[in-house]
Amino acid sequence: MMMTTRREVMALISGALATTTLGGRAFAEGAPKKGGTLRISAPANPSSLDPATGGAGSDHAFLFTMYDTLTEWEFDTLKPKPGLAESWKFTDPTTLVLNIRAGVTFHDGTPFDAEAVKFNLERNRSDAKSNIKADLLSVAAVEVTGPQQVTLKLKTPDTALPGILSDRAGMMVSPTALKAAEGGVVTRKPVGAGAYSFVSWADGEKIMVKRNEKYWKPERPLPDGIEISIIPELTTGARSVTAGQNDLIYQLPPRQKVIIERASSVKVVHGPTLYVFQIFLNWAKPPFDNIKVRQALNFAIDRESFVKAALAGLAEPAYMNLPRAHWAYDAEVAKLYPYDPDKARKLLAEAGFKEGTPIEFGGYPDQDSVQRQEILIEQLRKAGINARFVNAPVAEASAAFFGPEKKGAGLLSAWTGRPDPSLTYSLMFTKDAYYNGGRAPVPAELEAAIKESRASEDIDTRRKAFSTVQRLVMENAFVAPLAFQFELVAMNKKVQGYRPNLLGKPKYDDVWLGS
Amino acid sequence: MARRSPVKVVGSRLVQALPVILLATFMVFALLKLVPGDIAVTLAGDNATDARITEIRKIYGLDRPFLVQYGAWLGNVAQGDLSQSLLTGEKVADSIGRAFPNTLLIVVIALALALVTGIPMGVMAAIKPSGWIDKLISMLASLGVAVPGFWLAMILVAEFSLKLNWLPATGAKSFSASPVDAIRHALLPGVAIAAYGMAEVARQLRGALLEVLSSQYVRTLHAKGLSMSRILWQHGLKNVGVNLLTIISLLVNRMLAATVVIEAVFAIPGLGSLIVRGAIQRDFPIVQGVVFTMVVVVIAVNLITDLLCAAVDPRIEQ
Repeated sequence: MMMTTRREVMALISGALATTTLGGRAFAEGAPKKGGTLRISAPANPSSLDPATGGAGSDHAFLFTMYDTLTEWEFDTLKPKPGLAESWKFTDPTTLVLNIRAGVTFHDGTPFDAEAVKFNLERNRSDAKSNIKADLLSVAAVEVTGPQQVTLKLKTPDTALPGILSDRAGMMVSPTALKAAEGGVVTRKPVGAGAYSFVSWADGEKIMVKRNEKYWKPERPLPDGIEISIIPELTTGARSVTAGQNDLIYQLPPRQKVIIERASSVKVVHGPTLYVFQIFLNWAKPPFDNIKVRQALNFAIDRESFVKAALAGLAEPAYMNLPRAHWAYDAEVAKLYPYDPDKARKLLAEAGFKEGTPIEFGGYPDQDSVQRQEILIEQLRKAGINARFVNAPVAEASAAFFGPEKKGAGLLSAWTGRPDPSLTYSLMFTKDAYYNGGRAPVPAELEAAIKESRASEDIDTRRKAFSTVQRLVMENAFVAPLAFQFELVAMNKKVQGYRPNLLGKPKYDDVWLGS
Repeated sequence: MARRSPVKVVGSRLVQALPVILLATFMVFALLKLVPGDIAVTLAGDNATDARITEIRKIYGLDRPFLVQYGAWLGNVAQGDLSQSLLTGEKVADSIGRAFPNTLLIVVIALALALVTGIPMGVMAAIKPSGWIDKLISMLASLGVAVPGFWLAMILVAEFSLKLNWLPATGAKSFSASPVDAIRHALLPGVAIAAYGMAEVARQLRGALLEVLSSQYVRTLHAKGLSMSRILWQHGLKNVGVNLLTIISLLVNRMLAATVVIEAVFAIPGLGSLIVRGAIQRDFPIVQGVVFTMVVVVIAVNLITDLLCAAVDPRIEQ
């Protein structure tokens, strides 16, 4: 399918190194065994257990247990690999052939075949309630070309699709269940073909799943079931693990590491993710309509210190929207904005921006967000930028910045990972994208390069296209990336085989419970 | 004036309760609509476009005029249907049915603890005002009022859950399934809320008792040669019964409010967590449902208190 290049090997090694420095202990001790219930503390109630109608990035941690996807990804690099689709091939740039695994059934006994794939993809791309229509925008038609083969006819070349099919759009739901469900959605009665089948969901409280005895992967899954308690207060969630009421908690803030490591019964793993703290900018209005002011902002940020001060060193400084471990990372782009407050001042002067003029940013009021803001205010002050933060809860602040109100010049928030980098770029840096707060145009060559990145299947060609995309985004300074957060997972010592992944959304594929 | 029958009293109170329920739910609904933030954005998902958000508003009826939306909700409630969560589709009545017992158990435990500790403290303080016991109890009471519940909660967890491992640090268990386990889970949160209640009961009871004990008829009782303990338990406490009932009803309402924070500390899926989640996500059917429940509970508590007060003290006009 794809050759592994030297750079990927390097990325793999650095990724592996990062995970093993502390995470080494997480790897299996003794022979994996069946049995036991894995008890997890999750930070948020899912928005829906129907992959097509849900909305939150935090849903995946639940969805992945019950739904298998057409493609999967390598944990360390996110390169797509076979899942329910055994193999795939672009027979020409606008034709994608998926060969479907035989002998798989959904939890309700419905056979998983080409018809089921077609049913799901058609629903995902055209049902009124589907939230993922945009993911499959390039698909013109889905055809069953064999009992175990589906062919996607595309409007435009789109090599991001194999990656996209590893996410919501590729999660296969039982057509029988969908047809029988009220309103055609399985929000509360999910039926997939994943490692675990659904048992119950009490909103804001608990989700339970049990082992799918007919799962297609041999010897998987190992635990009898998973019990996920929803505990929004992360400190409380961490306490539930140290007290032995839960086995594992994910998405811990870095400051928790020191505290939780004091408990002798608990081990900690971490690894890089695509989750990046960044300042979204509105380049449709002053002061960030001036490229020099945007560049100045990027020069004014000392990312190394930010990582140390705000994230306890458990992060990677971000100079673009992809971390070092990612297959499309470009080391040259990462050199564009070294910390240089003098240069920032100079650029501001050239832009005719009066030093000390307050710039209003949106932000969130929780403890960690405020700490990040304080550090930034201080860093920016040294470059003559007077940053002010107006805080509101996440939903409110985001709606005010990205919605019609267009409040603030920037928003200190974060971008969660996408399975294919082209999504990240098209969702933020095209003219009418929701996450382009000002809906302002971008250079034509950037839009073209984003398209280009989806035109070829060859990974080197794609990588080149992404280099152009990243260079244009950063040269134009349409965003101020700060740091890639590490996934921080704390677990009971009996939990074995858990591996962090680059997407930062936990998957429990090889997890088992020792004694 | 002739006394009205309790049935009539209850009936007229229920009629009076209606406008309160209407006003409270309407105000909360209005507040939710007024504050920025939009559930349509959440519903539309991570990759939303403006067009998709508009579409979502239409699908969920969020584009209808404000009063129409409130009216639709009210119409459903009138038919006994609290409607369902916009986000997850769970019936609000189910969510509340599951959450309410958890909250109720905490409040009951907290109230019981507050009374069991607060009443003896109040009585002891009143027996010898300005004595060292009184001073000590006053100090404890001040401390109880001043210490924030969430802080006390975390200290309790650190000591009794993490260090000694006696009680669970988080979560709740169903009382009907296993009462002992349910109480074990609710004990620490109950204690955390009870501290304030204990202080309040002790202080108020001391004040009320002092007033009774300094009255003329108590002096007569003393003169008759009655022992202090008989005066206190037979005459004193009977006379502060109304005060005590009033304190209890106020406490119940206040403790219900306190559970919002305490439930977050202990990750208890109760009414407090439910309304917080609903409010943050702008999932208004949930918020409306919980507010409705809370208002009904508060009105019921007040009504019961009034009836009990009248029973304890016939002088109270109903």
